[in-house]
Amino acid sequence: MRFTLALATLGRHRGRTVLAILGVAVASAMLLDMVMLSSGLRASFRDLLLSRGFQLRLSPKGTLPFDTDATIGGAAAMVSTLRALPDVVAVSPVLGGQLHIPREHGVITGFALGVEPRVQGDYELLSGHDPRRPDEMVANDDLLRAAGARPGDTLTAAAGYDAQLRALAGTRRLVITGRARFLYLSAGQPAAALPLSTLQNMRGADATDAVSLIMVRLRDDAIVEAARRRIQSALPRVEVNSTSEAMARVDQRLSYFRQLSFILGAVSLVVGFLLVTTLVTVSVNERLGEIAVMRAIGVSRVHVVEQVVLESGAIVLGGAVLGLALGLVTARYLNSILSSFPGLPAAIDFFLFQPRAVWAALGLLALCGVAASVYPAWRAAVHPVAGALREEAVA
Amino acid sequence: MTALVLIALLQFTTPPRTIAVDARLAAAAGLRVGDRVVVAAQPGAAGDTVVVGAILARRADPSEVTRNAYDVRMHLDQLQSLIRYGDRVDRFAVATRDSSATRVALRAINDAAFGFQAWPSREIAAQTSETFRVVSRFHRAIGVITIVASAIFLLCILLLKVEERRRDVAALRLIGLSRSTVLRSVVLEAAVVSVLGSALGVLIGWGASGLVNAYYQAFYDTPLRFSIITTGIVLFAVTLSLVLGLAAGALAALRLVRTPPLTLLGR
Amino acid sequence: MSALLATERVHREYRVGEERVRAVRGITLEVASGEHVALVGPSGCGKSSLLNLLGGIDHPTAGRVLFRGADVALMRDRALTRFRLLHIGFVFQRFYLMPALTAAENIALPMAEAGMPARERRARAMELLRYVGLDGRARHRPSQLSGGEQQRVAIARALANAPDVVLADEPTGELDARTGADIIALFQRLNADGTALVLVTHDEQLARAARRVVHMRDGVIVTSDDGR
Repeated sequence: MRFTLALATLGRHRGRTVLAILGVAVASAMLLDMVMLSSGLRASFRDLLLSRGFQLRLSPKGTLPFDTDATIGGAAAMVSTLRALPDVVAVSPVLGGQLHIPREHGVITGFALGVEPRVQGDYELLSGHDPRRPDEMVANDDLLRAAGARPGDTLTAAAGYDAQLRALAGTRRLVITGRARFLYLSAGQPAAALPLSTLQNMRGADATDAVSLIMVRLRDDAIVEAARRRIQSALPRVEVNSTSEAMARVDQRLSYFRQLSFILGAVSLVVGFLLVTTLVTVSVNERLGEIAVMRAIGVSRVHVVEQVVLESGAIVLGGAVLGLALGLVTARYLNSILSSFPGLPAAIDFFLFQPRAVWAALGLLALCGVAASVYPAWRAAVHPVAGALREEAVA
Repeated sequence: MTALVLIALLQFTTPPRTIAVDARLAAAAGLRVGDRVVVAAQPGAAGDTVVVGAILARRADPSEVTRNAYDVRMHLDQLQSLIRYGDRVDRFAVATRDSSATRVALRAINDAAFGFQAWPSREIAAQTSETFRVVSRFHRAIGVITIVASAIFLLCILLLKVEERRRDVAALRLIGLSRSTVLRSVVLEAAVVSVLGSALGVLIGWGASGLVNAYYQAFYDTPLRFSIITTGIVLFAVTLSLVLGLAAGALAALRLVRTPPLTLLGR
Repeated sequence: MSALLATERVHREYRVGEERVRAVRGITLEVASGEHVALVGPSGCGKSSLLNLLGGIDHPTAGRVLFRGADVALMRDRALTRFRLLHIGFVFQRFYLMPALTAAENIALPMAEAGMPARERRARAMELLRYVGLDGRARHRPSQLSGGEQQRVAIARALANAPDVVLADEPTGELDARTGADIIALFQRLNADGTALVLVTHDEQLARAARRVVHMRDGVIVTSDDGR
């Protein structure tokens, strides 16, 4: 009966109800987006870091992986030391650099990764096979497209290019053995992976026995922190970061977005609260006589409050459902803007849809809606019955 | 022998060269002007002894905001020697008399030299500020969403408030006031509410902007201003809320004056 | 007949701006089970205020209001509301039906509050609609009913939980003479079926239909004649 009365009352003022639902929808869309933003980046980044199972990353002291051009010297000995540790399952050394490919129309420059293919964690093979021999490489579609090449083709590639003298340095002929998707590179960046020793040789003296990054996979997630401390004390001239530390560093750099999401989320809640409070207040003020009659015929105060809260609940529910759809659309749009950050891995999403986040947002909104309507409803329920009837008669 | 002694004397008597460090590095390392430090190209390698000649204040440069790197300024030849760069530089910066001189210089450099390219500083700035352009686009999108949301809220609330006056409107019509008089008075009320609300909103926005700047300047240790309220922004916000407020008031008032007064009273 | 509803030296005062209005001044009145009483008097004499006190929707400033001997004024809100729901039926001059509900739903509203299951509610609502001669109007909303029809629905609503007494405040005040006569007939039938009635009215015909007419002026009972 109360549900019937609530819906019927809302139906009496369709225009007002529709506008209110729209208002709540916009507030809930914004709230949902901000909840997704606050947790999405972290979750997305964490998933990316752990996608290949490497829990620790070693980089030059004071830097994050590939933050600078600095390298770690004496890499071979370091990798042997790490592989000898009982908790270590796999060690993947990586050297970064540039690859210059001269073509008829000019020189194409891409990103080069020197890896050990059997333990690498930087790319996913889409077709063909890993570079098993020193003169082989895999490339992504962006590089293949730019170079006008296909798997099976042989290209001349260089690790250095003097633009002033137009001279290539560290040249080698490499066979493309496969197509790959590079996990940590930004969208549209041409890239190739070749054997570590090949890239070291191509880069010359400054890269002899040097790597940019060493990734370590441990046998158990529970021992990550202990292993990190052990390795850090054994190798003081490198920075050893666990996944959680890497995330903490990224958190710090992108803390602006978390704060923004908190502020905008809070503003959405406040505005939604104000909207529902205003709507309910006006609605009950208009119906004080009706409410007085309900009280006169024996409807209890609690049931009057329930009735009013049901009405606002219906608006909030309708707005939340619409807001969910709207929020997903706007999140996609906002994500497309932020994903164009230069240098951001293509796999990273700022707005990640997580069911938990949706429930959290809807729960907050429902709570807000109820809280916003309880006070005006209660005030109407305790309004003196005879006085209200008299005012109605006079009016 | 004499030459060796002279060289040794020269090294002993030549004062170390100076460097400038940024304020963050000075704070982190506890450096003051006059302190002697050793700078080297690799950790643990032998380097040059230098004196801190100046401490540089943080600039209001957006690109420095999230960077945690420390900046050191050295004499060019000393740095070239230290990192074994030889007679090389990464770039030249050229100052010209005026914009026409810039164009002439650009053409001359690009025609004459080979292997490197000259760019106007403006274009370099545009290319390197892609990060901020992304952030700007994001802010703009959020701004548009916020404006749409605010517009809906404004319409909703003003419609409600005018509807609340239905009995007053009915009474005024019953005692003989014309529709246009009643309409004007309701729209005037909506306008007053919009004006007062806008003024309050501008004050709140100005306060919030100050808070945002104070917080982020402290958080990122930068003099950069993150939020700026311009006359244009104020005019836009006030105009929009006035227009919306008047539109909402007029719409609701029109509905009321067109409804027969007795119907408004529920008869 | 034993007193069903009674007041003992009951007063009601309230403030209107700066002025203190003494609407009811020390009235003692008894209504027996099955009795039909009309309260008449000039405007502002306190009839409606007395009715509100009898129905428990207003509190006396002094004195007692008794229902089967129990002091209504001492009841807390929940008990008082329950009392109104189960023992009192209200009929107002302006009908006060819920505009968003149909005739049947308006009648079912007090039954729902009393916890009656939905099927029983529907059946009883139809029964009451038949009783008041409106069984063909169950699905109509108040805006689709005439004044007389709305008042009948209001009477049916007042009978929803089979109250001991129906209190009606100017029930024919908004109706024309012919429609008013129909309502009067309905009230007489109600009373004949055993429901006590207390009516406030200016309508002489309605007053004449009552077994006892109580005349009020300036908050006091002037005469009370039972026409016998």
